[in-house]
Amino acid sequence: MADYIVLRNVTKKFNTKTLGDIVAVDNFNINVHEGECFSFLGPSGCGKSTTLRMIAGFEDLTEGEIELCGKLVSSSKKKLYVPPEDRGLGMVFQAFAVWPHMNVYENVAFPLRIKKMNKTDIDKKVMEALKHTSLTGLEKTFPGDLSGGQQQRIALARAIVTNPKVMLLDEPLSNLDPKLRESMRFEIKALQKKFNFTIIFVTHDQSEAMAISDRMMVCDMGKIMQIDTPENLYNKPVNRFVHNFLGESTFINVVVKDNKVYPKGNTNQAIKIAIPSDASNEMVVATRPNEIEISKNDTDGYKTHIESRTFLTDRIEYLVSVGNQLVKVQTPHRIKFDKNEECYIKFVSPMWYPADDEKEAMERAKRQVI
Amino acid sequence: MFSVNNNAMAAIDGKKRFSMDKLLTIVCFFMLFVVVIVPIFMIIFNAFFDKNGFSLNLITEQFADKKNLDAMFNTIKIAIFATIFGTIVGVFYAWLLGRSDIPAKGVMRALFNIPYMFPPFLGAMAWELLLNDRSGYLNRFFMDVLKLEKPPLNINSIWGIVFVEVSYYFPFVFMQVVSALERMDPTLEECARIAGAKQSTVIAKITLPLVKPAISAGALLILISSLAHFGVPSILGFRQEIYTLPTRIYAVIYNSGGSFEGIRQGAALSVMLVGVVAIALFIQNRILSAGNYDIIKGKSMRPTLIKLRAAKLPLLFLSIFTLFIIVIVPLGMIILISFVKAYGLPLVPENFSFINYQKVFANKGTIDSIRNSLILSVSAGIISMFLGTLVAYVVQKIKPKGSAVLEITSMLPYSIPGTVLSIGVILAWSGAIFGITLYNTLWIILVAYIARYLSFSMKTSSASLMQVSSSLEEASRACGASHSESLADITLPLIRPAMVSGFFLIFLPAMREVTTSILLYGPYTRTLGVHIYSLRDAGYIPQAAALAVVAIGLIMLLNVIVTQLTKDRKGV
Amino acid sequence: MANVSFQNLKAQYGKNVIFDNFSLEVKSGEIMCLVGPSGCGKTTLVRSLLGLTKPETGRIAIGDKVLFDAEKRINVPVEKRNIGIVFQDYAVWPHMTVIENVSYPLKKRKVKKEEIQNRAMRALEQVRMTQYANHLPSQLSGGQQQRVAIARALVVGAEVVVMDEPITNLDAKLREEMLIEIRMIQKNLGATILYITHDQQSALELCDRMAVMESDGKLCQVGTDEEIITNPINRFTFEFIGNSNAIPLVVENGNTYLDLDEKIPYEDGKGKDLHNKELLVRLNDVVFDKNSKIIATVTSRIFLGSEYNYFLNLGGKEIRLQQSMLNAKNDGTVDVGEKVGISFINPHFYDKKIIKEAL
Repeated sequence: MADYIVLRNVTKKFNTKTLGDIVAVDNFNINVHEGECFSFLGPSGCGKSTTLRMIAGFEDLTEGEIELCGKLVSSSKKKLYVPPEDRGLGMVFQAFAVWPHMNVYENVAFPLRIKKMNKTDIDKKVMEALKHTSLTGLEKTFPGDLSGGQQQRIALARAIVTNPKVMLLDEPLSNLDPKLRESMRFEIKALQKKFNFTIIFVTHDQSEAMAISDRMMVCDMGKIMQIDTPENLYNKPVNRFVHNFLGESTFINVVVKDNKVYPKGNTNQAIKIAIPSDASNEMVVATRPNEIEISKNDTDGYKTHIESRTFLTDRIEYLVSVGNQLVKVQTPHRIKFDKNEECYIKFVSPMWYPADDEKEAMERAKRQVI
Repeated sequence: MFSVNNNAMAAIDGKKRFSMDKLLTIVCFFMLFVVVIVPIFMIIFNAFFDKNGFSLNLITEQFADKKNLDAMFNTIKIAIFATIFGTIVGVFYAWLLGRSDIPAKGVMRALFNIPYMFPPFLGAMAWELLLNDRSGYLNRFFMDVLKLEKPPLNINSIWGIVFVEVSYYFPFVFMQVVSALERMDPTLEECARIAGAKQSTVIAKITLPLVKPAISAGALLILISSLAHFGVPSILGFRQEIYTLPTRIYAVIYNSGGSFEGIRQGAALSVMLVGVVAIALFIQNRILSAGNYDIIKGKSMRPTLIKLRAAKLPLLFLSIFTLFIIVIVPLGMIILISFVKAYGLPLVPENFSFINYQKVFANKGTIDSIRNSLILSVSAGIISMFLGTLVAYVVQKIKPKGSAVLEITSMLPYSIPGTVLSIGVILAWSGAIFGITLYNTLWIILVAYIARYLSFSMKTSSASLMQVSSSLEEASRACGASHSESLADITLPLIRPAMVSGFFLIFLPAMREVTTSILLYGPYTRTLGVHIYSLRDAGYIPQAAALAVVAIGLIMLLNVIVTQLTKDRKGV
Repeated sequence: MANVSFQNLKAQYGKNVIFDNFSLEVKSGEIMCLVGPSGCGKTTLVRSLLGLTKPETGRIAIGDKVLFDAEKRINVPVEKRNIGIVFQDYAVWPHMTVIENVSYPLKKRKVKKEEIQNRAMRALEQVRMTQYANHLPSQLSGGQQQRVAIARALVVGAEVVVMDEPITNLDAKLREEMLIEIRMIQKNLGATILYITHDQQSALELCDRMAVMESDGKLCQVGTDEEIITNPINRFTFEFIGNSNAIPLVVENGNTYLDLDEKIPYEDGKGKDLHNKELLVRLNDVVFDKNSKIIATVTSRIFLGSEYNYFLNLGGKEIRLQQSMLNAKNDGTVDVGEKVGISFINPHFYDKKIIKEAL
């Protein structure tokens, strides 16, 4: 598979009056393959939207270069900047951005009219785009009379009508209600299959990103944290941030002593897990609440009891104590324990990270102010 | 803990006491009836009824008079051209300041708003001094320099009137469009770029159509203001016998010496003017209803500014030149003339003195007029503020049967020309109703001001009340406050900033008002505007200029105070 | 005692009956969550309790104090009911500082000046907002404003506090925090809390007991979270609580079948009368089972992080299955196109849904 969208050492600095230079995007190197669905995932202010806007051509680069379909489109060194209209992209925005003064048909036909295509071709293409976005019959309707989901479909139809090779999606589902959000994921995937374009999908919602992407990039504070497949990112996150961002996490502070692992501050009972060779004295063991096995009689596990229990729609959430720390455990409704009941817990595939890094916490707090 | 007393428990349904809500509603209906309905009714009555009952004679007589028809066509012509040019200028500068990377935006925006505060008839005065066909300073200058035999420009013409009106009315469009452009979701334009459209195509196909509602709202304001405008056409038109309907009405009544017959004739002409305005409103309504939409969705993002590149400097010069023409030139002219010893002398330092200021302030009428204007605008401001807020509260929160009627009634005078309203007020309060005669007193001007400006405060209070969620009042009820306590502690303080700005929206234009008061003033009730107008009319031009400078200074000072006062720290 | 009782209430707007013959008992000192889809009449019910809406008939009382009684023509005005209220849009007065907001109810109840200050500060302490006492609401975040609203509702020591969707406008993280906070405050004060929401998840997290309302204003089940989840009284409650699959059943010759394109024998149904019923089962109660004779084909698999979401084709019907990460790691995943046996744990059997339009 060819590298289709390439970012080389892309850096973007913003100059602000109060805080001086802020590095919004710090030395990004990304290769997106042809036909791939690639997500940019991260909390707000991580640089994902700025990166997308640089690819689209709405922002210039402080440093680095961007290549689209084998053609250089932005380069800070060569002072090259291809304007957005000449990049041949499709793009869908969070706020729909359908033109309220044009009806559905005119919205979708606009990109073709700009290309001065003849009427019959326009009609054919528009009707096909509308068909694939389930908008047939609504040609004469104005966007103001349509629901959010339908408006976003118009935006999709408008984006696919020119048959672009690359589709940029900037949080396209965030303004929709949860049910619709889920079904639109499938629609986007189906359109990709039909029209064969490469997707860059920007979102802050990890489950959305995981459901839709082939690969994704997790970034934070203007830096790339990790690029990998959803499964690998979820199961082998490189650091605590990625672990926490990709799903509910449980972190236990532990000390390693005499080749045994104890919860920090309580050495009565060891946790029976394998110790990595490079573990230092104090570490953090990370796992997911639903990857902890809990049982009444598997004495191999860590013996403890249920501190509290909450019924949720699709699971029961227990808090159990491990040393002086509380650990969240989730089970299906059918596995039921009572409050204070004795139980054994087992960590199936824990990850190890260095102990709490205060410097990082401070840096994050500082950035929050920005 | 539960100290529910028996009295409270006795508040049994069915035997509801006469509630405060009902009282407010009735007060509202009554006040609007007296202030708005009665004068309008009187005009219609006098125009269509005489001693023998219904008759169209009076109206047909007016239509038969060629002078009146000329006036009507002039009015329409001036209004249409002022609207077209004003809209073009307004949209152009709105785009330039709202979307391009032209430098010094903040300063320019502030300056572009000045014409809005500057009384147009003073501008007309200044331009007359510069460009009248006989002795205009600028005309003489051109004739000297270019060796011309005839003055090159003549401000005392239809086109002169259009020019002056455009320079004072284009901010209506400018302000509306600039704020629409700023609130517009930038992704709407970015999408079009992605779709392959060039920047110029985006402006033509996306940006302008999207701000069309703002443009037409501003254009309508220009149209109606111009149709009803008295000051500029009267100053520039009378000498050449160019009349518009408002000035014609004034002339008819003035020439008849204020007799009842003259006023009746004025009433009939008013019906003509109202007809023209109504047609304009109707057409605008048809155009506007084509599409009204919300373009301010989405996250707030700074719109990408369009780089003007090579066009930057020429456009900057053009903007500065425009500002120079519409702000500096007339203002400078008025100031210079106010210092000149006698009208007609060359504008050189030897001829300057403070004599005009001394003369003006030695005149008892000057002090009276300033006092009258202050009394009138303060009391009209306060009364309209409370009445407008009351109407807004009844319409927004109590919503009684007929609240739509209330709203329309209070907005009605907004689209009725001031001249027409004055005639209605004269007809109503010259003894026709219960024998009450207010003619020649300050009261009659006050009543007219209230009717004319009520909609201003009603609009601002209404917008602010709409943002006060009903849960705020409900929360205070649940905290133990009665209905009236909730009103006093929660609702009123929350809309106070809006009420205050409503007050100043009335106070400022009332200070410089001419159109209404010119028909209503009596020997002792001249207003500031009327006094300047009549000083000039009587030929005391430098003195009129001196008083104008004082008036402008006063208005600017008040404006500064307003902006300071309305800078409220507590937002709703 | 501050138990709240609604008896035989009826409310209607014009001809539109919101609820009729509605009775509910909220025990003193409990958190009762009233859940139901939007438009079911929950808000009308709280407005009746507060005195903002007047019901047609019935009786509302707190302890032995009657607030409303249609027969005896009692209707205590809002300001005398002494009920704390927290609205969805916070309704914090923007022109008053935090401390002024919280002091207001005390002022209106003519509490002594020096005492007002103390009590207001104590209420702010409860919600950890003392350092913001002199801030204006516009300087606070949504969560902080909601805390102020809660302090204001609690400051007079009302024994009953109503919360109408108080966390709906907050983001997910903050919602979680606020729920814990509400729980803590309730523990400290022992007030009775009536909590209104359309969000089952937060209701389950917070409540001592919950009351489920159907969209037509009928109260369909009242009970603890455990009761509601393990023993949903009807199909509405079951489906309202979470996603599920519904499979029609048919009995022929004494054997129960899944009534799909082909009839698949359902052996677990033996000995039950399941004719024309439907089998409802939660997504994570459908499990892969090599020994099962119910065979489905995997049509797609989506990785969602904490679980895999499978779409299966079972006799022409789409069945959803959720496999937790734990099971996926222990038992492995199933690929698209594979045929697998599935079985249903904890199935519920309800009458077939009658589609109203068809009638």
